[in-house]
Amino acid sequence: MQTSLPSSSSSNAKPEMKEHCSHRKDCLKMIQLILDGEATDQQLARLKVNLESCQPCIEMYHLEKEVKELLTKRMEKRCCPEQLVATIKSKILRFS
Amino acid sequence: MNSLRIAYGKRQFTLTFMATIHEVMSDTPTRDDDQLLPDGDSIDQPSADTPSRGYTDEQKYQIFNKEFMPHIDSMYNFAFRLTTDEDDANDLVQDTYLKAFRFISSFEQGTNAKAWLFRILKNSFINDYRKKSKEPAKVDYQDVETTYNSEDAEAEHTVDLRAESVSDLIGDEVATALNSLPVDFRTVIILCDIEGFTYEEMAKILDIPIGTVRSRLHRARNLLKEKLRDYASSMGYNEENED
Ligand SMILES: [Zn+2]
Repeated sequence: MQTSLPSSSSSNAKPEMKEHCSHRKDCLKMIQLILDGEATDQQLARLKVNLESCQPCIEMYHLEKEVKELLTKRMEKRCCPEQLVATIKSKILRFS
Repeated sequence: MNSLRIAYGKRQFTLTFMATIHEVMSDTPTRDDDQLLPDGDSIDQPSADTPSRGYTDEQKYQIFNKEFMPHIDSMYNFAFRLTTDEDDANDLVQDTYLKAFRFISSFEQGTNAKAWLFRILKNSFINDYRKKSKEPAKVDYQDVETTYNSEDAEAEHTVDLRAESVSDLIGDEVATALNSLPVDFRTVIILCDIEGFTYEEMAKILDIPIGTVRSRLHRARNLLKEKLRDYASSMGYNEENED
């Protein structure tokens, strides 16, 4: 481990992998925006940096992605019962 | 099993609609009362800023057929996930479609029919079913929201769970976890992750600001992850030791 630089937050050439993320909450929110397709270019760029340098962010990203995929892909989708479709159609015809 | 019905795939709702209907026996009384939208806020009513569109009957059926009916499976799923009951889901979907037809003149042809319908369904659910089911609606939700509103709670609130732990969960387990969330939290997850609405569409469907959509979704997901973590650990998918 090196002694950290005095104050400047932006690192130079090699980003070291951080074991602790000091902005977990904000990072998590940003990750969700990105997975939801609601992020700005700036947020996307920030995530890229984090995914190269921040272990907790990498893990959060994978978890959020996994959970979202569970919901989009693994949930049972039902079909509306035929009978209900027929009932609605017949009722609508009597409206006008 | 219901799940096998998926095999039917997408239906066609084209001309069958105008066909003769034989089953119009008078087993159900016509509801011609004007009380279908009791609070007047259930959907956009025709008013000064939403000019009433003078659709002909033929146009009405065409809109209903081509723009509303294709969403009926999504609507049914939404209703079922809200009510968690097949009969209630049936009633809710039927009420919603009848309201949609009744107020079809406030729908602008070619605009986002799915979001429009979802909004009616969600309002019908709040007005009719939530009361009936005695779910402690607002209180329930606000309690939870207050809890998570505290900054401290939220700062700590990154759920300790690994992606690998949830990747083996099956749909039923995810559904159970989702159903155990208070309905307002469940709703945002359904709209966003299952139905793929944008935040902006969700804001309109739910009548809340986009910022609230964002934060409610964030909290909902934290709650869901807690449930999933409980599931994962009870199933023995352990976080720490993977051999
Ligand atoms: Zn980070």
